[in-house]
Amino acid sequence: MQNDGALLATFLHVDTFLACLKKLKDEKHRIIEAFSPVRLPEMQEILTPKPSLTRMFTLAGGIIGATGIVSLAIYAHVSFRLIVYGKPVIAWVPWVLVAFEGMVLFASLFAFVAWVFKAGLPQASIDPGYSAALSGHTFGILVSSADTDTRQLEEFLRKNGAAEVSHVAT
Amino acid sequence: MAEREPELDIKFENVNNQVLGTLWKPPFIFWLVIGLLFLAFFYGLVAWGYLVATGMGSTRLRPPSVMWGIFLSNFIFFIGLAHSGTLISAILYLFRAKFRTSINRMAEAMTMICIALAGTYPLIHLGRSWLIYWILPYPNQRQIWPDFVSPLIFDVLAVSTYFTVSLIFFYTGLVPDLAVVRDRTRGPFRKVYGYFAMGWTGSARQWHHYGTSYLLLAGLATALVISVHTVVSWDFALPIQPGWHSTIFPPYFVAGAIHSGVAMVLTLLIPMRRLFRIENIVTTRTLELLAETTILMAGILGYSYLTEHFMAWYSKNVFEEQIFKFRVLGYYGWIYWMVVLCAVIAPMSFFVRKVRTSPVPLFIISIIINIGMWWERFVIVIQSLSQNYLPFQWGFYWPGWIELAWTLATFCFLFAVFMLFAKYLPSIPISEVKKESGMPMEKGGPYRAE
Repeated sequence: MQNDGALLATFLHVDTFLACLKKLKDEKHRIIEAFSPVRLPEMQEILTPKPSLTRMFTLAGGIIGATGIVSLAIYAHVSFRLIVYGKPVIAWVPWVLVAFEGMVLFASLFAFVAWVFKAGLPQASIDPGYSAALSGHTFGILVSSADTDTRQLEEFLRKNGAAEVSHVAT
Repeated sequence: MAEREPELDIKFENVNNQVLGTLWKPPFIFWLVIGLLFLAFFYGLVAWGYLVATGMGSTRLRPPSVMWGIFLSNFIFFIGLAHSGTLISAILYLFRAKFRTSINRMAEAMTMICIALAGTYPLIHLGRSWLIYWILPYPNQRQIWPDFVSPLIFDVLAVSTYFTVSLIFFYTGLVPDLAVVRDRTRGPFRKVYGYFAMGWTGSARQWHHYGTSYLLLAGLATALVISVHTVVSWDFALPIQPGWHSTIFPPYFVAGAIHSGVAMVLTLLIPMRRLFRIENIVTTRTLELLAETTILMAGILGYSYLTEHFMAWYSKNVFEEQIFKFRVLGYYGWIYWMVVLCAVIAPMSFFVRKVRTSPVPLFIISIIINIGMWWERFVIVIQSLSQNYLPFQWGFYWPGWIELAWTLATFCFLFAVFMLFAKYLPSIPISEVKKESGMPMEKGGPYRAE
């Protein structure tokens, strides 16, 4: 029997959840999503082994922030050439601090915006299959049943420790 | 040797219930206390209004002697309090110190409130507070820009960056927990929590990007927290004022900030822990570790005081020597000795295990430390200014009713907003406590995440 939906398997134990996730991945099932109430590095190793691109966005933000604010300082001081505190008009040494603050500010803003958008947030409707139990103390795997026998897949999930398996329309 | 208490004593499946239990329906007295605190805050606003209407002359600030009174010492005090939030959240996160887990949210909330309050003091000190936008980096009608080499502009950049980054860090940590509250709330509140949770579901994709960003934000905040109080210290260290012009100021200010901040965390945490019955999450061991941090900070601070005096003597600079003699023997001398007693000697009582593991003595000593640290800033700002190079600049300052009213207002605002935070937001980070609580395994025993 085939359909276009998916099965949501919930687990009460973290070890069975991770083992089942790995088996599904090894057997090349299409895992739509996995849910956990806590961050699990092992879950990420299985599903998202590549480093997050937010690092690159943060780096870009830092560079933009540092160069942007120093450019502003240069423009401001060149447009009104006044010597203060005996410092030159283009005062690189005190601007290390200005650059640092700009770097941290923009890197943080970019890091935040990057994680929010890369994580698919904000989203008006919650992921299919998600239930309040998944923010409690259960773990969940949403696996596509489109290209496989649903009954066999359900059996596979139960055999691998799923406490409950439910059908989800995706 | 007595066995130490664990840093957390809660089961994975009980975390939601217990933490969400803190968002309880408070008794009438809770709202009464909040009402009284806001009343005091409004008294402060009235004082500020009077100051705006009558000018800075209605304070006790008297240039050329003491032109920075307790407005500036309060600014340093509140920025200092803010530091412990980032210390506990970011620095201890990078060091993987697990005891931070149960207290970082409260410390971060305190940080947010304190930075906002700290910002009000320079605003008042401007006199014409409505012209605050003049210090923003944009040109005026004569194409004159703010001076990017001035420590005061450094201050604006540092404090505004610190507020923004702390807010981002606080909110990022809060998102998974807001989703937990959203899933267990009904009515209009569900919409509000849901709006701020942004549709978080705890999916692998979300955790993946969240985890990387949280770590990066922790790294950025760590660098920032050290820089901010360093910049604040430069407001003092860069002028050639005796008592201020010293290279020791940055580390001395950072240590003082952490010292007062950790003490304030203890002051807020101990009653809250008792009120919410969360002794199994915020354990005595957590309090003990905070007390041990306090011993270290008191030691650094004591050493800094001695170094200041030694350098004044060793430099043979007559002005430096005179100001430090005046500090210990002058008419503000009693304050200096009170600072030494409260901020350096009192925390040494934490060497006694019974003191640092008993909430009541911890609470009392944390208040004593904060009193000491408030007066420490009074000594730095006011005592140093009261005897400058030339005798015509010498003078005596004692705060007037306007300064005291706004000081009272800010402390009341801190406590009121902190109480509201505890009422409406999870004051314990749910997902982090869950992670440290030992998730159940089928084969038995708790799972410990990497």
